[in-house]
Amino acid sequence: MAPARVSLMRRHWIVLAAAAALLVGLDTGLPHVLNAYYLTILTRIGVAVLAAVSLQLVNGFTGQFSIGHAGFMAVGAYVSAALSVYLGAGWLVALTALLPAPLARACYFPIPLVAGGLAAALAGLAVGIPALRLRGDYLAIATLGFGEIIRIAILNVDAVGGARGFSLTSAAQPAADLRYDGLGAIYAVVALSVLVIARLVYSAGGLAFRAVREDETAAESVGVATTRVKVEAFVVSSFFAGVAGALFAHSEGYVHTNSFAFLRSFEIVVFVVLGGLGSISGAILAAAVLTAAPEVLRGLGEWRMILYSLLLIVTMILRPQGLMGQREFPIGRWLGTRPRQPHAAA
Amino acid sequence: MENFLQQLLNGITWGGIYALIALGYTMVYGVLKLINFAHGDVYMVGAMTGFYVAHALGFAGHPSMVGLLVTLVCSMAVCALLGALIERVAYRPLRGAGRLAPLITAIGVSLFLENAGQVLFGADPKFFPPLLESRELVRVGALAISNIQGVVLATTLVLMAGLEFVVMRTRFGRAMRAVSFDAPAAALMGVPVDRVILGTFVLGSALAAAAGILVGLSNPKIDPLMGIMPGIKAFVAAVLGGIGHVPGAMVGGLLLGIVETLVSGYLSSTYRDAIAFVVLIAILLYRPTGLFGSAQTEKV
Amino acid sequence: MPLLEIHGLTVRFGGLTAVSSLDFSVEAGALVALIGPNGAGKTTAFNVITGIYAPSSGSVRFDHQEIGGVSPHRICTHGIARTFQNIRLFRSLSALDNVRAALSGARRSGLLDVVRGPAWTAREQALEERARQLLTRLGLERLADAKADSLPYGEQRRLEIARALATEPRLLLLDEPAAGMNPSEKEALRSLVARLRQEFGVSIVLIDHDVAFVMNLCDRISVLDHGEKIAEGPPDAVRRDPKVIEAYLGSDAESV
Repeated sequence: MAPARVSLMRRHWIVLAAAAALLVGLDTGLPHVLNAYYLTILTRIGVAVLAAVSLQLVNGFTGQFSIGHAGFMAVGAYVSAALSVYLGAGWLVALTALLPAPLARACYFPIPLVAGGLAAALAGLAVGIPALRLRGDYLAIATLGFGEIIRIAILNVDAVGGARGFSLTSAAQPAADLRYDGLGAIYAVVALSVLVIARLVYSAGGLAFRAVREDETAAESVGVATTRVKVEAFVVSSFFAGVAGALFAHSEGYVHTNSFAFLRSFEIVVFVVLGGLGSISGAILAAAVLTAAPEVLRGLGEWRMILYSLLLIVTMILRPQGLMGQREFPIGRWLGTRPRQPHAAA
Repeated sequence: MENFLQQLLNGITWGGIYALIALGYTMVYGVLKLINFAHGDVYMVGAMTGFYVAHALGFAGHPSMVGLLVTLVCSMAVCALLGALIERVAYRPLRGAGRLAPLITAIGVSLFLENAGQVLFGADPKFFPPLLESRELVRVGALAISNIQGVVLATTLVLMAGLEFVVMRTRFGRAMRAVSFDAPAAALMGVPVDRVILGTFVLGSALAAAAGILVGLSNPKIDPLMGIMPGIKAFVAAVLGGIGHVPGAMVGGLLLGIVETLVSGYLSSTYRDAIAFVVLIAILLYRPTGLFGSAQTEKV
Repeated sequence: MPLLEIHGLTVRFGGLTAVSSLDFSVEAGALVALIGPNGAGKTTAFNVITGIYAPSSGSVRFDHQEIGGVSPHRICTHGIARTFQNIRLFRSLSALDNVRAALSGARRSGLLDVVRGPAWTAREQALEERARQLLTRLGLERLADAKADSLPYGEQRRLEIARALATEPRLLLLDEPAAGMNPSEKEALRSLVARLRQEFGVSIVLIDHDVAFVMNLCDRISVLDHGEKIAEGPPDAVRRDPKVIEAYLGSDAESV
């Protein structure tokens, strides 16, 4: 048994190394193959996927209806941007003096990402502890309220631009290029995050999330500390929302609170619901398709949201379980997450 | 002192608007246990309808009480129909499908109205025609009440009194209260639950339309997204009063309007929109049943 | 020394007194029943023991420790498990996952789940093994991967018991486990409950309002009516008690 297990692990590392190489290749090669427009779309898809999968943890797997997700993305975006502009620019310049430019940038950019994620996680803790005492509709409204409070609070902070928005340019280090739109790296971050979330959920310990979703009273009766589980889900979810926000800020090079209004929160909820509440694969699919589609169908323009909303209504009436329901693509097994798909009794 | 009174008056005026919209939220939640996210957008449709009706019927250039009344009634009728349509098409199929699906659908309807509004009416703001010539009505010292403010206050009072009458003194109102209390039992008693729910939407939507017209009168700039903020604030007002509690919605609306205006006037106007959310969080954390609501216990 | 000791328990909901001055105790290794007509307060008593309600007054002691008002998930770690009157399974999870969720040690989801070294794999396999064993002991091994809400009714009830047993309780509370069952299913459940005491070393309190079901099964029967205990003792004595017959008059008087 042991030798087989070792070779499996070694296989994992080989795969990961190959993937890393592929991503670095993408980063350098893609800008020569695809024009900036497509790159932007692909970047936005990456951000949308991460936003959706992180929300899925709370809404789909823990069964808590949170509709203020954009607020946490905003925290991540703004904190990471502020860090880069006021502190990071200096670090980046210093690093570039020591290392070749691509390496220096690759070393620097995890910093604002993690910082944004941590800040958002902290916000998630602050919001989650009081809000998660509420249930159902009340929780939804509370999260909506908090999302808006966060947005309005940021809007009133002059140091990050306020109503004018915030540009990722440092006055102290004007030469520093704080934008990071390397597609490979962005997708690496997204893929890693999705993997982490999938592994958290699809394990024996992760059953606690779904137990809370299925029946809180029963979960408590078998020893699950439901409030703590809910808060944990919320904090982890907020962390990755913050990372998504940070990715967004650094790929666009500019942030404005308008990108994080509750319409954005609703959009992410749509991804999660249409993909299927409780399916990571579904969330990825829905986020990708619904972000790409309006760009592909250029002519739609303002009809995009109308179609969106109609799709939402029709789906809830005809197929409330969404595209994937609670099922996942079998690929999970290959990555080692191995979710068990329950079937109907014979 | 006069400034305070002026602010108070403004607060009461806005509070009345919030109350009119809040009533729709609270009544629908009472009978369906659903937060009708689309309700704020019905208020927007009311204002827009008023705009088009006023222009179509020629009241735009000739301000008059009659013009105002006709516009008001037309708008209320159109929105009553809209509310009925929404209930019938989007919410009724989901009766009994749990709490989550209708909530998501409500979000969908809201998004639909906002975006269809942008396509139909154009995203640029319009100017609501002056259906009344603004005059000073009463003056007490430095406190001035314009005729428009007077009309807004009077209309709000009349409508609220009218609703109170319907809810407490008519058979329909009794049926509505029965369904709010216990829908299955009401059905067993012979109450036509479907029709009562439809009627609730009709009433609530008509009131929202009236609010839209009144706002158009006093703050003429209207656009397809104007329903979002007042919608949320009115919902907060409903929760403040105790969601499902009709007089509570009126009190909640007035309170919220006054608090918002005073804080905005004396402290900071940039945080005006945040106040409603802060109030919301405070209620949900410290007294989720609101001022007049009663706690519901779940049987295990 | 009794494992569970309830003294003077009173539970009030607003103006309604659901349980009034209840004295009730369970010795280690006992199999007792709590019966009474609908609304007698039996489930309320269970809910207080398991922490869903707090007592309005009185004490609840488990293994010498006061547990009145302790939250439900902590009660579980003390060693009390329960099933519910209306089945509360994790409906869209498989039978296996229902049991796995309850196994202690499976509770915390953390960094280890992300990194997944050999220790993690070993632990996961051990948990799955234990869960399967438990299902087998309750005759549910065939249905391990079936969705809980697709199971036939009798199997669902047994799964709920399996899940409760997964928490390795010292006291098991079964709330109307035979509800909705036909006579042959009830018979099978009776032998199962009798087995549980021996095989799992667990003390059992059973709620039911079918007196015949608990006859010949339990050591002792306590009877509640309108929140008060009106009789207690060995089954034969309780069956003949005039107060009990009167309480049941009009419902199950014939089967008494």
